[in-house]
Amino acid sequence: MINSRIYIKSASACSPELNLLDAFGLSVNPIDNTLIPGAMRRRTSLTTRIAITAGTAACIQAQVDPKMLPSVFASLGGEIQVTDALCRLLPDPDALLSPTQFHNSVHNTTAGYWSILHECQAPTTAIAGIDDTFALGLLEAWTQLQVTPGDLLLVCYDESWPQYLAPPIGEQAFACAFVLSSEPDAAQAALTRPEIYRPTDPNLAPNLDPSWSKLVDSAPATAAIPLLSALSAPRSANNSLIPLNNQGAIWCTHFEAPPYANP
Amino acid sequence: MANSQAFKPVTISAYSAISHCGYGNAALYQALRGNRSSLAPLAVFEIPFITQVGEIYTPLPSISKDLKVYESRNAQVALAALNHPEDGVRSAIEQSKSRYGVDRIGVVLGTSTSGLYESEAAYAKFLVQHKMPDDFNFVTRHAYQATARFLQKELGLEGPCYAISTACSSSAKAIAAGQRLIVSGVCDAVLVGGVDTLCRLTLRGFKSLDLLSATQCQPMDQQRCGINIGEAGALLVLERSSETTSTKAQLLAVGESSDAYHMSSPHPEGRGAMLAMNKALQFAGLEAGDIDYLNLHATGTRINDQVEALAVYQVFNEVRCSGTKSLTGHTLGAAGALEAVIALLALQHQFIPGTANLENVDKEFNCQVIKNPIENQKLNIVMSNSFGFGGNNASLIIAGHHD
Repeated sequence: MINSRIYIKSASACSPELNLLDAFGLSVNPIDNTLIPGAMRRRTSLTTRIAITAGTAACIQAQVDPKMLPSVFASLGGEIQVTDALCRLLPDPDALLSPTQFHNSVHNTTAGYWSILHECQAPTTAIAGIDDTFALGLLEAWTQLQVTPGDLLLVCYDESWPQYLAPPIGEQAFACAFVLSSEPDAAQAALTRPEIYRPTDPNLAPNLDPSWSKLVDSAPATAAIPLLSALSAPRSANNSLIPLNNQGAIWCTHFEAPPYANP
Repeated sequence: MANSQAFKPVTISAYSAISHCGYGNAALYQALRGNRSSLAPLAVFEIPFITQVGEIYTPLPSISKDLKVYESRNAQVALAALNHPEDGVRSAIEQSKSRYGVDRIGVVLGTSTSGLYESEAAYAKFLVQHKMPDDFNFVTRHAYQATARFLQKELGLEGPCYAISTACSSSAKAIAAGQRLIVSGVCDAVLVGGVDTLCRLTLRGFKSLDLLSATQCQPMDQQRCGINIGEAGALLVLERSSETTSTKAQLLAVGESSDAYHMSSPHPEGRGAMLAMNKALQFAGLEAGDIDYLNLHATGTRINDQVEALAVYQVFNEVRCSGTKSLTGHTLGAAGALEAVIALLALQHQFIPGTANLENVDKEFNCQVIKNPIENQKLNIVMSNSFGFGGNNASLIIAGHHD
């Protein structure tokens, strides 16, 4: 079980900046407001709307029913704009906080709206791992699929941030979503368990493209670009190590295109 | 599909908590036996209304010089729980390091606001000076993972390290994530738990939702009128179960679910709460009748307690249960781990905690809520509930140690 594969059934990306990934030969979807009913749309932030757009598109592509799907939402800052706006009010003792904004400031706001939108009672979680957020989101998804086989949605997202918080984090907003599965049927690729790269074989070292790394510093969820690139050309990425973060200990997963060798 | 689940028990090697009920397991046990609420007006900072809180009065340790960049009240509370000499969380991790290696030990913490308390002070300066103060560091203090990363560095660990932030179920879900990291073979031991500290945002936010009680909260009572917020740090060391650890307390399973109903109100029929409890039982391979005690989420709001009572009745018909937030305050993201520690103390001391401030159980409730602690009970298996905003639910099942 220790190095069990998981399988990717679909992938989707969303950003208000439609040319964000042009340099990597990848496209992103705009926010699709038709996916979110009006009342919910008015209450939700940009971060929730890019995450829901990416997640729903990934489900449609994989032809899975979001109602049945457990989900992992991974984000460094989550509802950072909502939290920022509330924090600006707090020094004034007479300022009244909006109850909606308050409950919309929790990290699992997107996860909550996702479950309400799709009437999904399956477990959903909201994790954060600073610069390892995407890697650890994928690891959390991997462990869930080992314990509870089936399909699962992973969404990694961060919106644009006020630039006085932790520049350059949050210069761009970006969300990506993957329908993952414990089963190989109809999957585009297989991944091994995310692990910290130990340089035993330099030929297998992951490729940390400097232009990618620079983008990750300002848009944490773009850590998923190497995986998205591999999925766009699975044959040429077959048997490569995909980096999942850009600094500190480097997390990787081993990527395989079908047909898969025996484990 | 119960047999397709790979939920295996993991050992709870050590645990500790710091809260309004004092520092360490012995202090918490004493407060539970005394069952007298001492929730009181907030002292640590000013807020523009009256409420009672569960503030930590224990002096907190300082963060070491090399890790000052992580310094926050949250990190200090976590460090206190880590360092309690008798409870031995730190020594259990040190033993795990030599047994398994630093790369085999993870850290997963639940929190709702992390170091937001420090950011609030920074924002007050920002609004005057139009720039953040020089010591403001979002990533190492305010980010959800900040305290988890502090503990990882403090302990020299190199396994996976992350935060789970699902409001009031955060640390119950962190415990679940720790169990998964072990049973799926990623880690041999995981430091799990939850830390949350009092801050203006949560106090004024809950006030805006009209959920704060001005007086001491009365969970499950006919007269209940809201919550009191508390702060706490609770840490547990989870370890791969083996023959040598099989006599210690075991985390059997965690059931998780979503209400899929509303961001801040529970589903009126308690469907998410029922699902979490039923899944926990299913994953543990147990029947409702196997649960000897249930620690309720029992926050003290009209609707939460009513819905939980309904869900508990539907799952158990009858079970001995109580709520402990009138002693600790509602410690939000730390509540799941703090109440896991309370469940472990119930098992260790073979007693059932009471529900402080409970005078008359709401007449509409069919569930039997324990008012006063009961000693000398035979407890083998207990459950603890945590339900959060976003309709995010988790129920833990823990089995006691045996000789």
